Amino acid sequence: MRSGRTWHDRHLGYLFVLPATLMLVAVLIFPAFLTLKFSVTPEGGSGWNLTLIHYQNAFRDPVLLQTFKNTFSFVAWSLVGHFVLGLGLAMALNQALPGQTFFRLVALIPWTIPDVVAGIIFRWFLNPVSGAMNPLIRTFIPSFPADFSWLSNPTLAFPSVIFANVWRGYPLVMVMLLAGLMAIPRELYEAAEVDGAGRLKQFFHVTLPGLSTIILIALALDMVWEFRRFALVLTMTGGGPGTLTEVLSTLVYKTYFQFFTFEYASAMAILMSVVLFILSLPYIILVGRER
Amino acid sequence: MKGMAHGSAKQERRLDAVMSYALLTLSALFALLPVAWMLSTSLKTEAEALSLPVRWIPKQATLQAYGEMWTLKPFGLYFWNSIVVSGVTALLSTAVGALAGYGFSRFRFRLRTTLMAGFLATQMISGVLVIGPYFQILAAVDLYNTLTGLIIAYVTICLPFAAWMSKGYFDSIPKELDEAGLVDGASRLQIFLRIIMPIAVPGTVTTLLFAFLLAWQDLLWALCLISIDEKRTVTLGVAFTVGEFIIKWPMLTAASLIGSLPTIILYLFLQRFYVEGLARGAVKG
Repeated sequence: MRSGRTWHDRHLGYLFVLPATLMLVAVLIFPAFLTLKFSVTPEGGSGWNLTLIHYQNAFRDPVLLQTFKNTFSFVAWSLVGHFVLGLGLAMALNQALPGQTFFRLVALIPWTIPDVVAGIIFRWFLNPVSGAMNPLIRTFIPSFPADFSWLSNPTLAFPSVIFANVWRGYPLVMVMLLAGLMAIPRELYEAAEVDGAGRLKQFFHVTLPGLSTIILIALALDMVWEFRRFALVLTMTGGGPGTLTEVLSTLVYKTYFQFFTFEYASAMAILMSVVLFILSLPYIILVGRER
Repeated sequence: MKGMAHGSAKQERRLDAVMSYALLTLSALFALLPVAWMLSTSLKTEAEALSLPVRWIPKQATLQAYGEMWTLKPFGLYFWNSIVVSGVTALLSTAVGALAGYGFSRFRFRLRTTLMAGFLATQMISGVLVIGPYFQILAAVDLYNTLTGLIIAYVTICLPFAAWMSKGYFDSIPKELDEAGLVDGASRLQIFLRIIMPIAVPGTVTTLLFAFLLAWQDLLWALCLISIDEKRTVTLGVAFTVGEFIIKWPMLTAASLIGSLPTIILYLFLQRFYVEGLARGAVKG
C-alpha cells in the first residue's frame, strides 16, 4: 500500500498533466519552433539550407525599426497613463465614500469592452465630420477646427491611439492597486498621523511601500499585454496613416497575411518574441517569488 | 492644541472627500463618454448619425439599427459561431485544465515545478509568434476555415490559466478527502471526478466564464484562421464591417454593443476573482 502510494505520487501526476502539456506543445511550442525555422529559411526555400538573411534585412528595415520604436512608446505611455489614472482612482475609491461602488463599476466599464470594439468606438468618436470629439472640444475652445482629423494627422494619430489604449487599460491597474490599498492596515496611517506625518509623507512612507509589490506585478503584467496589443490598433487605424501607428503585432500580422512574406514575417515574430520574453521576466520572477 | 489638530484632520478629510468626488466624477465621464456616444449612435437613423450639428441625444431614437444588423449583415450567424466556439472552448479548456490543475495540486512528481513554470511562461507568448505555422498546419489537415481549428487554438491558449486557476482551488480543498477516498478503494480519477470536482464547482464556473470571454473577444486568431463569411465570429464580423468602404455607423455600433454585452456583464461580475487570479499566476491576456 505504502509503496503503491509513492509510485502514484511519482508517476500518476504525469497522466493528469499530460493532455494539457501535449496540447500546449502541439499548438504553441511546436509552431513556435517552426516560426524559428522559417525565420532562417531562404524565401520560398525548404529543408535545412539555412540563412540569416531575414535577420540582416530586419535590422536594416526602417519600417520595422520605426515599429519597434512605436511599440516601445505605445507601451511606455500606456503604462504611465494606466498607472497615474489607476493609482489616483484607487486612492479616491479607497476612502469608502458613499457611492463608491457605483463609481468603481463605472470606472471598470472600459475594461469590459473588447479591444476590437474599443478601437471602433474611438475611430468613430474621433471622426472628423460626424464624431463627438471636435464638437466636444469646440464647446470649450470655439476656435478649434470643426473638421480636425485626428487619425490622419501625422503628429496626433499615434497619441490618439495611445489615448484610446489608456482608456481601455487603466481599470485593471486600478482594481489591482485598490486591492493592494485595502490590504494596508489603517493603523499604519494612524500611527503615522500620531508621529505628525502629513498627507504627502504618509503617501511616501506608508502607501507606496505598502503597494510596492502589487504595483510591480500590475505594471509587469500590463507591460506584457500592451506590448502584444493588436485588435485595438487594427480596428482604430489599421496602422496608418502610412505606418505611423503600426505596432509589432499588426506589422507581423500584415507581413504574414497581407504581404505573404512568410520567412521574413517569422524573423520579425522571433525578434518581437525575444523582446517580449525579456519584458515578461519581471512578472514570472515576481509571481514565482510570491509563492 | 489637541482639538485644533483634530479639527485640521477633519478638514483635511473633507478636502480629501471633495477632491475624490471631483476625480471620480471626471473619471466617470471619461469612462462613459465614448460608450455613451456609441449607444447614442446606435439609436440614430443613418441620416441623423451623419447630420450636423452632432447630437448626443438622438432627435428621434429608433431601434432600426438593431434590426438591420441581423438582416443587412448575417450577425445572427456570427453570434451563433461565437457562441459555439466560445462555449466549446470554455468546456474543453476547463476540463483539461482542471485535470492538470489536480495533477499539480496533488502529486509531487519530478518535473512538476518545471512544467508549472512552463505553463506560466506560455501565457506570455504572443499569438503572432505561432500564428503563421499554425495556419499552415491547419491548412495541411483541412481545418483552415473551420470552427474546430479555431477552437483547438483557443482551448490551448486558455489551458495555462485554467490549470493555474484550478490548482489554486484544489489547493484550498483538504487532502484528507482524497485520502479518505483512497482508503475506500477509489482510484485517483474517481476521486477527482466524484469527490474533488463537485466541491470545486464555484472555481470551475469562474474558469469556464474566463475561457468563454477570452475566446469571445479574440480577433487575431479568427482573422488569420477564418476567411469565409459563414464561419466568422462576432469580433471578426465587426472588424470587417469597420473595414468596409461605406460604414453604416448605427448598425456597426449596435452590433458592437450587442457583441460586447457578454463581456460587459460577465467582467463586472467576475472582477474580484480576476484580480485574485492575476496575483497568483492565472493570467488571461
